Amino acid sequence: MYPAHIESYYRPTTVAEALAAITRQPEGDSMFLAGGQSLMQAIKSRMVRPTSIVDLQSVAELRGIDQANGLRIGAMTRYVEIAEYEQFPAAYAALRDAAERVGDRQVRNRGTIGGSVCWNYVASCLPSVVLALNGTMSLASADGSIRDVKAKDFIIAPLETARREDEILLCVSWPKPPPKTGSAYKKWGLVTDALPVVGMCVSISLDDLGKCRTAQVAVAGLADGAQIADAGGAALIGSAGDEASISAAMNDVADSVETHSDHWADASYREQLIKRLGVEVTLRAFARARR
Amino acid sequence: MQTINVKVNGTTYQESVPIRMLLVDFIREVVGLTGTHVSCTYEGVCGACTIHLNGEAVKSCMLLAVQADGHEITTVEGLANDKELSPLQKAFNEQHGLQCGFCTAGVLMNMTEFLAKNPNPSDDEIRHGLIGNLCRCTGYVHIVNAVRAAAKSIAN
Repeated sequence: MYPAHIESYYRPTTVAEALAAITRQPEGDSMFLAGGQSLMQAIKSRMVRPTSIVDLQSVAELRGIDQANGLRIGAMTRYVEIAEYEQFPAAYAALRDAAERVGDRQVRNRGTIGGSVCWNYVASCLPSVVLALNGTMSLASADGSIRDVKAKDFIIAPLETARREDEILLCVSWPKPPPKTGSAYKKWGLVTDALPVVGMCVSISLDDLGKCRTAQVAVAGLADGAQIADAGGAALIGSAGDEASISAAMNDVADSVETHSDHWADASYREQLIKRLGVEVTLRAFARARR
Repeated sequence: MQTINVKVNGTTYQESVPIRMLLVDFIREVVGLTGTHVSCTYEGVCGACTIHLNGEAVKSCMLLAVQADGHEITTVEGLANDKELSPLQKAFNEQHGLQCGFCTAGVLMNMTEFLAKNPNPSDDEIRHGLIGNLCRCTGYVHIVNAVRAAAKSIAN
């Protein structure tokens, strides 16, 4: 495993410079490099062979977590920063659940939320979290325009997103959280903190009586990558957070998504994981929403 | 080729390198410090090539050398203060925290930063911190003992 020849390397310091650098090359020859914990693997295995790399490490405006107006996480914010950020509201706590269990310390010191969602690997955590939490992706183009894309329209298929190659992801953002809202994420992998064989992310909003008003469930690790499970969200509405109703809703999730068999787990085992992890994270999301 | 300036263990190296060169090869082949190991043929899974980039533990096979331009790197050779081993290195010696030693450089670099951030870790936290470093001598018990002993010795 070693990179093929690379013609040029740029390290812009602003988004405008980065977009200018990417458009200087013929389409497809140039790639943005974020933390590199996925893309460098693809470059070393020569799955992709960019002739030019635009390294985003010095673009300060892409970094940081800001709650001045809702929640905004810059695309180049690393897992370690999300994992150590203690001020997430309960509504967005799933982000921390996921980030603190990605890979290992060394990976979390480099890997970024933007890199993860833009790469959208078939078995990865953050795409399912932004789906369940209904995040907004802000994409900038060289002509100065910025377009906002909802996560469900951004995450298309494994290794495929709505981002064009000449666009840069600025941030993922959320509005001020509605009251009594909680979220949680958990995965199961072959070893601790490994890629998810199945990951479950649930977001719950409660009404004044403590019953589920809205819910969104996303599943990671499916053959089609991270997916929203509409059946789960619908089935949770009206639930008081008791294990019986949650369990029934997670059975609906397992029935509604197509699980696959591979060398990691067979389809029926994945269904069991969806049910078990689903109940656990939904109970946690309820508990966080009540606080 | 691109010219880069990288400070390694306090010494600045100005070198011209191919853009595709991985940082671990820059450290081993260009700078000539072979304490940083390549174990998994650059696949990013073993942690033997872990170094500090601006004080943080990262796998040096997961970066291009050009990405380290302008940054500071510490390798295992930079842990000892002159001939005085660091508390973690001493603990690995005293607790028999290594057998063949191949993974050790990466473990030391990762756990040095881990202890700086978490000076009083539980055994579970130590084990969780070690996920990115593979030891194939099945030596984790002694590695955990060494990290725990180092935490105590630093605290005293």
